[in-house]
Formats: sequence, structure tokens, C-alpha cells
Amino acid sequence: MREVYVVGIGITSFTRLEYPLSEIAAYPATVALKEAGYPKVDHVYVANMASARLNHQSGLASAVVDSLSLTPAGATLIENGPASGGSAILQGFLGVASGMFDCVVVTGAERLREVNNLEATDAVAALSHPLAEQIYGVTLPALAAMFTRLYMQKYGVTERHLAMVAVKNHDNALDNFFAHIHEKITIEGILDSPEASTNNPYVAEPLRFFDCCPVSDGGACVILASKEVAQKLGKPMIRLAGVGQATDTHCVHERAEPTELLAVRGAASQAYKMSGLTPAHVNVAELHDAFTILEIAESEEVGFFKRGEGHLALERGETRLDGKLPINTSGGLKAKGHPVGATGVGQAHEIVLQLRGEAGKRQVKEAQVGLTCNFGGFGNNVVCLIFKRED
Amino acid sequence: MPLEILAYKCRKCGELHYPLRMVCRKCGENEPHEFDTVPLPKSGKLLTFTTVHNLPPDFNVAKLTLGIVELENGMRITGQLKIPTPKMGMPVTGKVEIVREADYSKNYGIVFYPA
Repeated sequence: MREVYVVGIGITSFTRLEYPLSEIAAYPATVALKEAGYPKVDHVYVANMASARLNHQSGLASAVVDSLSLTPAGATLIENGPASGGSAILQGFLGVASGMFDCVVVTGAERLREVNNLEATDAVAALSHPLAEQIYGVTLPALAAMFTRLYMQKYGVTERHLAMVAVKNHDNALDNFFAHIHEKITIEGILDSPEASTNNPYVAEPLRFFDCCPVSDGGACVILASKEVAQKLGKPMIRLAGVGQATDTHCVHERAEPTELLAVRGAASQAYKMSGLTPAHVNVAELHDAFTILEIAESEEVGFFKRGEGHLALERGETRLDGKLPINTSGGLKAKGHPVGATGVGQAHEIVLQLRGEAGKRQVKEAQVGLTCNFGGFGNNVVCLIFKRED
Repeated sequence: MPLEILAYKCRKCGELHYPLRMVCRKCGENEPHEFDTVPLPKSGKLLTFTTVHNLPPDFNVAKLTLGIVELENGMRITGQLKIPTPKMGMPVTGKVEIVREADYSKNYGIVFYPA
């Protein structure tokens, strides 16, 4: 396999966007293409979950490649639920690594705010099993809540730990111009004060409003290319050093141990193996905190902390911006936002910024290796990526 | 005849599944959909639960309690709970009822009550 490098990145604000979905997908690609010096593009991968259902647009990749005036380059839409973005990067990686393509655009986009929150929740709930979960009213927050209760019982995680994730990620997002939420929160305000039950009501008990990511629109892009293309640019060389993807049962109730996220573990171990790196090499990570509990559980499953000890590392401040392994410096899904198809690409965008040393106030000093974990469904399809700066 | 929720028993190796899948999870070698149906037990203990306050629009209720139950034979099922104060590990017993009505379609599923 050939080595694969990131030669350009672009992003939109994650927020409510009043642009057509195809523009939300194409705009970050224009930013990335400019940065990469307008290379010849062989293929465009577009990641999106719900365009046909929510935006009355099918064949989104064909619209995006044309809007970017990159025809006749090939174009492919990748729908893999919330892991669409990571999956599209993995496919782009394969295209370049195989030698078939020299340069590919991977762009992710979603426009959920075209509909109201309940309809968006229903569209996302379509990820669950139609006959064994959906008919009961199962939503993604419901699955996360049932997982949280088991995790609390088994490992002693409390609502306070969950709130710590939210506070940390909101703090990080304050320094991210593109984040959906720029609002400082405190444990007192969301848990302890007399107003906490109105400030922070239950969504799916024991998960509260501030345990759940917002419903966002947004787009993000990375351009992947061969070493020859990357070297011509004279920029820091950021290599996509490892990729991994694994799946798990569709129904959460069919998992032998319902507190384990085997797909996260499998995807991460493949990515480590390919890159020749270990969890100890990672300086910065973007984990899929669609719900606060997931940042804690994933930090264990990708090997940063022992099982059941992620919340202790959080308590010690190890995952804060000034800690030894900062997690979700962008604000994560929790505060940066979760435009479903764009999310996995947005995670890669943040890691590349960090490795280039371009993350501004939220820069992790001398970051050399970064990991992303993009979590689809309720952990039934997960992609992990490892990026490495090569000087 | 009381309504049942069916489990699917592999004709090749005997492994039980719920819900239906095309290929057996254990042997992986059955002919597609070749399962015998066996009614699932309806009693068990509550493994975990949640009360959802943000439901898809067709549920005309403010909130709904859902849970995963470990049944007497060790299999698990997701269902609705009609239990005022659920507790993890409590014994429960289920009935098959209408759990979701959208337009003209009525979906039957399992609803658990305190045992």
C-alpha cells in the first residue's frame, strides 16, 4: 500500500445553516482545494446520512462533484449513519493507498435543521432495529441512557462525571470559531442549583439535556493524496497512518456484554496495528461524544485508560486541554456539534489542525499523533483513524 | 390464543435468536431464514431502563419508559415498561400489546409489568 497524506482541510460552522445541502458539502471542499493548490482530483467521496429523507436530494455526490466543477472525476455517496464521515475517509484512503487515485476529496455534510427536533430525532432513530427497537419508541438517546445506567452500576460513573465531560467540551468549544455552542456552563448551573432541573431537564433518564449533542447542520472536508502530491506543497506532512473499522450487532440487547463497545475496540486496534503506534503515542484525540457517557467509554475502548477508569482520568483532569491526553479539543460533538454525515470528517479536520500547530488557543503543544473515533448507530459501525505528523 | 413474540432457532445448530436474522450467528451455515420459531418466555429480570422525554412525533405521549429484559432462558429483549418505579434487577412479566400506531399501521410488541 502507498502512504496517504492530508493535503487540504476545510470546514463550515456547525450550526443552523440556511444553504442548500449540496452547498454545505461543497463549500468546505473549496476551502480545502484552495489550501491544497487546486490539485487534479480523481474522485470525490461525499458522506451524508439523511439527504433523501430530510432534504429531498438523492445522489448527493453527483450534485457536489458538479457544483465543484470537478467533473468528470468519479463521485460516490457514503451513508453509514453517524460513521459516514469516517467511512468516507477510509474509502478515500483505500483509493489513494491502492495506487488507483493520486488525489481524492472527502467531504461530509448534513442539514438536519431543515426539520424540527422531533423529526430529526425520528430520522436518527431510524438507525435502530425496525422491528425489535424502533416500534417501541427507541431513540439514540434512549439506547445511550440504558447503556449509561449499566455503566454507572458497574463502574461507579455518576451524573457528575457526565457533567464534567460537558463542562470540559463546552470550555474547549469557546475557542473554536466553528463550534455550534459557545456557552460556558458549570456543574453548579446544570446539576446543583435550584434551577438545574429547568436548565438541564432529562432527555432520556439518566441523560440530561447537557449530556446530549445538539442537532447541527454543517460540512467538513479533507483532501487525501499520495506522497508525491503532498511533498510538492511544502507544508507539514500529515500522514493518515492507520485506519480501522469494525461492526457489532444491530440490536443492542443482543450483545453478550452490553457495557462493552466491541466495534470501538476492534476499529482502534486495527488502526494501531496499521500505524505501528500504541495508545501511549497519542497526543490528542477526537472521540464521538454524541452523549457524554460515550467519551468516557470510548476513552477506555481505544486503550487510553483501563476499563472502568475513564471517569477517574476525567476527574483528574487528564483529558482537559492542559492535561496529558486532551480529548475533544474542538468541543466534540457535545459542543462543536453533530451534523451527522460531516462529523467524522470534522474530527479529522480538528486533528490535522492540531498536528499542523494551527489550532490557535486550543493548540495541544507539540502534538505529533492524533486519533479519531467515529461511532455509528449505537456502536454497530465504528471507524478509527490515526494521523501522524512527519517532519 | 395469547399473542407471542417469537425466537428463531437455527435448524442446523439449534442456536436461538431474537430478532430474526437471515444467517445463524453461531454456525453461520444455515440456509437463509431456515429457523424454527419458538415462543420467547415472557418473564425475566429488568437489566436496564430509561424514561424517554423526547419521542418521535407519532407517539402522542410526553414520555415513555423503555427497558431491556433478560428473559428466563437467558435471551434478552427490548420493550416498553408499564412500571411506576422500575429498578434494575427487578422481576418483570410481559404481555404482547399495541406499542406504536402510525397512520393505519398497528405495531404489536412486548410491554412489561411488575411480576
